[in-house]
Amino acid sequence: MITFPKYLDRTVQPVVRLVGLGNAGVNLADRITMGAPLPLQVVAVNSDQQSLSSSVAPAKVSLGPLTTRGLGAGGDPEIGFDAAKESAVEIEDALSGADIVFLCAGLGGGTASGAAGMVADLAKESGALLIAVVTSPFAFEGRRRSAQAATALREIQARADAVIHFENDRMAELAAPRAGVAETFSACDALLGGCVASLVRLVAAPGPLAVGLPDLLAVLRSPTGTCLFGTGASKGDNRAHEALEAALKSPLLDSGALLDQAGNLLVHISGPPGLSFAEVGVIMQEIERQASTSTLLHLGVATSADPSSPVVVTLLGKTGAECHPSAAPVDVIFSARPARAVPPPPSAPAPEAAPLQEELVPTVEVPVARQPLPEPVLQRAHKAAAKTAPEKIKQETLQFEPVTRGRFEKIEPTIVGGEDLDVPTFLRLNKRG
Amino acid sequence: MAREDIHVGLEIGTSKVCAVVAECREDGEVRLLGVGESPSRGVRKGEIIDFENASNCVREALSDAEERSDVEIRDVWLSVTGSHIESFNNRGSVTIPEDCGEITEEEMQEVELKAKEISLPKENIILHSIIQHYYVDGQQGVLNPLGMLGGRLEADFHIIHGVRTRIQNAIRCVKECDIEVLDVVVNSLASAQVVLDKHEKDAGALVVDIGGGVTDYIVYLDGAVRHSGVLAVGGDHITNDISIGLRIPITRAEKLKVEEGSAILGKSLPGEKIVLKNDTGFSGKEVEREMLNLIIHSRLKELFEHVRKGFAGEVPEHLLGAGIMLTGGCSLIRGIREVAESVFDMPVQLTHAHDVSGPTSAFENPRFSTCIGVAKYAQAVRSEMPQESFFGKIFRKITGKR
Repeated sequence: MITFPKYLDRTVQPVVRLVGLGNAGVNLADRITMGAPLPLQVVAVNSDQQSLSSSVAPAKVSLGPLTTRGLGAGGDPEIGFDAAKESAVEIEDALSGADIVFLCAGLGGGTASGAAGMVADLAKESGALLIAVVTSPFAFEGRRRSAQAATALREIQARADAVIHFENDRMAELAAPRAGVAETFSACDALLGGCVASLVRLVAAPGPLAVGLPDLLAVLRSPTGTCLFGTGASKGDNRAHEALEAALKSPLLDSGALLDQAGNLLVHISGPPGLSFAEVGVIMQEIERQASTSTLLHLGVATSADPSSPVVVTLLGKTGAECHPSAAPVDVIFSARPARAVPPPPSAPAPEAAPLQEELVPTVEVPVARQPLPEPVLQRAHKAAAKTAPEKIKQETLQFEPVTRGRFEKIEPTIVGGEDLDVPTFLRLNKRG
Repeated sequence: MAREDIHVGLEIGTSKVCAVVAECREDGEVRLLGVGESPSRGVRKGEIIDFENASNCVREALSDAEERSDVEIRDVWLSVTGSHIESFNNRGSVTIPEDCGEITEEEMQEVELKAKEISLPKENIILHSIIQHYYVDGQQGVLNPLGMLGGRLEADFHIIHGVRTRIQNAIRCVKECDIEVLDVVVNSLASAQVVLDKHEKDAGALVVDIGGGVTDYIVYLDGAVRHSGVLAVGGDHITNDISIGLRIPITRAEKLKVEEGSAILGKSLPGEKIVLKNDTGFSGKEVEREMLNLIIHSRLKELFEHVRKGFAGEVPEHLLGAGIMLTGGCSLIRGIREVAESVFDMPVQLTHAHDVSGPTSAFENPRFSTCIGVAKYAQAVRSEMPQESFFGKIFRKITGKR
């Protein structure tokens, strides 16, 4: 008899556990603990005792008390790894019984980069589904950190069922250029928190049109490519539109411009019981228009029992299509912006439900130097990049509009109380739709 | 004597020129014989900006009215409007000579002249002076002091004045067609004649006539005009707003306003779109219904707020027992009543001409309220002229004739 993992059984609520690993991970764990209640258990895992003791997470695991003496890994992944090895039993305890594990970590430092692989291994051994939500460091943090982060990311990718990878550089675009440091970091954290929260909601929330894990895995299957994520909530009159607009504003979507490069796109709409079919239709129409014709859309709709809950639109996807055998080397070459260089193939094959793990995560790592590409391939790729580049240029709408009076331009103005009433009222009130 | 009882009201409006031929009976009933109409050109905000075009439109409208009513039009009563028209209340007083002590016709005329002795801009002229109340030796609320005894007669008048040349231009525009202008009436006063009945005037009412280019409003309280005003904002502005806001041509914006426009917010489905079909010279487009409604709503709300500010200092709102009447072509916009109610916070009704008979389609259309009102006003003035009653005294200074 074939037995399926427990997390595929939808009749029981899966036990979801969030592991915040390292300083950034603990921060995120704190944020989620303090945010809206979600059906998940939060565990903070760190080698830095100071960060752990200030954390509000209900469960805490201190890594390597003997190795680090509670002083943290100091940016050295080796120490992080040793610490994790020392505390393997505690980590295993913390993970046991979970059906789905979210591993949240900010890669590049010591603890997360060193221990991530270990924690991922333990999570998989416990039989849970592992979804990693990781960030890579800012470019200005130095190449060493970037390299550490890249190594750790590969380790996680080799083990996790799905990896959601955010680049801090792009997340920083969330905040205004003049925003304070704390503000920028908190905006990044908020985005990550929102991402995790919506993933939990997506997996856990029942609905008339539920998205399951298979959809989620199908979307996140592609190992390369940039992660597309956006979420927006609105309660207003025009909530469907506003929620979608907010979701598309996410810098990780490039204001919706990246949608047409998504091979797979998961759209999850959750809302109050009064969420109408027409509203869902409006949202999907708009996404349909922005996405490319080859994009495979996965739609999920969930309603909550609480009538005051807002309409939340979550978009999750990855640029590029599934890992294509012939396209793979090119992907590696242009790993900076792979999706822009490789237009998605015309038909992305629909992924089957409950895919095997071997399919999910490519374990083959192709070092660039050892496998030089034939010249024509490179040229072709360059051409492709050159061809797609001009399409990216989008005409910006002019923000500032000169005061306009239309047909009343040349006749005596109607001035009442110092206001020119010939100028449209909505312009004067600055109401834009 | 049938000929004498036929009055023609003419309105040179921003969106249309219309002429109403009405037969006015002794008992006060007004029967419409025919309504002539012509789309207006060369008029903006109720005033003529292209003399020749406007004159042609007047000719078309009048010949249309002649055709429909089978009456040859020789003279008309003309309604005027425009942002230059202003109003105020003023009190005049005279001392009655000691030897008689009885108030006569002479004193009543004198008190009116006194009330009109105010400093107006040099180019302005008084169009109407409407009696509100008389005071005899400080006794308030005297309606008709003729024959009363007293030492001192005072009177409050509502005076409406405007720029002489601008009014003369409107008159000349009609005279181009060899038609005599008997007198001019301000739009708001004319509309009130047919929209309000006597009870409503006594109870207190506000009439807002929203036309194509201007909005005329008038406040009645205790049977007398307490306030009136003109705001040079009308339906044209809504069209213009839509045209600018949705980036569509004016003609298409007008059509969209009439066919789809509503001033109620939040009733459309989120993200609901209106598809504009291809038209001559216009490629199709999709516009958001909520945006359209928002544009209309904002404009109307602001318009009503200005009207409210206009009379709030003069008349407390809660005294308007009969509520607020909306008329004029622009009152046909869906949801305008709800917007008005939200601004004024009192009952608002959409009305049209009452107490007239004839083709229902004409008098039940709020677009013709002013024009029918002019004819009714003419009848009221004519019938009361011999008795020289307190209401309806008109002044012929403008035409300088008769």
